[in-house]
Amino acid sequence: MTDDQQPIDSVMDEAVSERRQFFRTALGAAAVTVAGATALTIGPRAFADTTSDVDYLNFALQLAYLEAQFYNFAAFGTGLPAGQITAGSAPTGTNVAGAATGARQVTFADPLVAQYAAEIAQDKAAHVAWLRGELGTQTSAQPAIDLGTAASGAFSTAMRAAGVISGASATFDPYASDENFLLAAFLFADVGVSALRGAVAVIADATHREVVEGAMITDAHHAAIIRTTLYAKGATTTSLRTNADAISNLRDQLDGTTEDDQGISPTTGSNPVANVIPTYADGTILGRANGGVLNIAYLNSAQVTKGGFFPNGVNGTVTTSSAN
Amino acid sequence: MTDTPSSEQLMDALAESRAARRRFLLGASRTGLALGTVALLDACGGSNSGTATPTPTDSSTATPSPTATSVINDQNALNFLINIEYLTAQFYAAATNTPLAASLLTGTGTQGAVTGGHAVTFADPLVAQYARELAADDLAHVGFLRSMLGSAVVAQPAINIDGGASGAFTAAMLGAGVIGSGTFDPYASDENFLLAAYFLTDVAVTAYKGAGLLITNATLLNAVAGIMATEAYHAGLLRTTLYAKGATTPALRTNAGLISNYRDSLDGTTDLDQGITGTATASNITPADANGFAFTRTAGQALNIFYLNHAAVVGGGFFPAGMNGVTRTSAAS
Repeated sequence: MTDDQQPIDSVMDEAVSERRQFFRTALGAAAVTVAGATALTIGPRAFADTTSDVDYLNFALQLAYLEAQFYNFAAFGTGLPAGQITAGSAPTGTNVAGAATGARQVTFADPLVAQYAAEIAQDKAAHVAWLRGELGTQTSAQPAIDLGTAASGAFSTAMRAAGVISGASATFDPYASDENFLLAAFLFADVGVSALRGAVAVIADATHREVVEGAMITDAHHAAIIRTTLYAKGATTTSLRTNADAISNLRDQLDGTTEDDQGISPTTGSNPVANVIPTYADGTILGRANGGVLNIAYLNSAQVTKGGFFPNGVNGTVTTSSAN
Repeated sequence: MTDTPSSEQLMDALAESRAARRRFLLGASRTGLALGTVALLDACGGSNSGTATPTPTDSSTATPSPTATSVINDQNALNFLINIEYLTAQFYAAATNTPLAASLLTGTGTQGAVTGGHAVTFADPLVAQYARELAADDLAHVGFLRSMLGSAVVAQPAINIDGGASGAFTAAMLGAGVIGSGTFDPYASDENFLLAAYFLTDVAVTAYKGAGLLITNATLLNAVAGIMATEAYHAGLLRTTLYAKGATTPALRTNAGLISNYRDSLDGTTDLDQGITGTATASNITPADANGFAFTRTAGQALNIFYLNHAAVVGGGFFPAGMNGVTRTSAAS
């Protein structure tokens, strides 16, 4: 929605969040005086870190472009409409438009997997549309996205690094089978959830918080679809579980030394426990900082600004992976 | 975020949140502001300064939206959530024969007992493995929320997870039309277990989302977001399994739809619920609005479902004596 079209509830929520943000900003001051308070401009969308919400939403949009294109090509053979990948009139930060290349429709053997793919594709496209509508003029363009199957492409590189395939010329085709599609989807599945978990607590605007919570929950359902299906099919096709575990290990290597990723294989023993849900010991979902998300998307544990699935990097202001 | 805060940090955060609110109340009373509005209190969380008195302009623009009146502060929100976790943890614990320690059930308010529940003899080893995972996660949630709340934690209230004639699950499934008469034993089969778990878990997700909008302290909010996401994975696991098994046992999909409609009938006129059957070519594992985002329930709406009552009441259904804590009245839906 644009500024001049906000429903009244949204405006009211915003007023509330402005106050919250004001006090949060004020934490850094030794004493907050009335004079200090009036020195700040508190108007619609003028609170201190409006920019960070925009930056964050644009970052989320970059990831949404990647996932929406992957699922829409896989499910329907077509990507996002041309009108859903362009920049607004005033994008912030890097803004180099690009195409999503190399993907194609999967001929699914299991109609269930086809139905899951179609559902997720529609949700991801809806997320792109909502984020673009909310960002309006500040929307960042879709960057170049590599969804291809070449030996030097992102999927093959990732699966080689994970040990799912071996040999410098080996290729991984996510569109060749249900199993490959599920493993490719698994590569991204938990990453979005882990990124959004951290965002819930830092996003400033109340409306945005509700949306970030909603997107996190939706993405968690998507991840659960992929993980549950790999786990269930893995009971008879054991490589699905071991390959998912290997991909998880790759993500963990890329994003730093802390354990923030888990595969799906069960515990051993007479009463095995599944691991569909990647959690810490306290039962909370694993979290990941934006830099770590980019380590995985760029397939690089170093501090870089492009590579992997985004050959020219992502657009916006959050563009650099962490140095791990 | 690469790690979760320690329980000490969480306790500090909660104490800070409480102290901040008290300071705000003091400051507000000096300026004669009219209080009693949830959103206004929420708006002031995190203030570290007793002099952070809101200006008159602020107070006039901080009119709360009427939906945000269910939970009055972080502590109440967390206590509301732990009531839900007591319920789901006890359900999974019974099904998997892994009872909760008595030390995890104490607290303020009237401690209640669990009625019903027994181990499931699972036919599909996968469902057994899922059940044990869900049990472990919800047990962890009880412990984690208790560590956040410390001495402020409410005791487990009376809980009914029975499948007998007077059981909450029987009442729920009769209401939904899953059964036309007789009883519904969630522990009698894999299918019944999955439907019963689905009945509760989707509600938990929407309740967490609603509570997450009201929590002000960032540390606590991060923790709650982490549990919220886990609950969403639980719901996704259950819905995926019902959908997949529903390809050959269509009653699972039909019954999931009936349960969704029943939940929707309890919580008011807004459509906040979806079954798992989608179109001919797409599933509907993820219950989401037109923008692809999950639904929100206020505490009162979630309580409508847990109490199996669309009216404003303080107990019934899965909580015969009501939840413990301040947030315990269902909405007039």
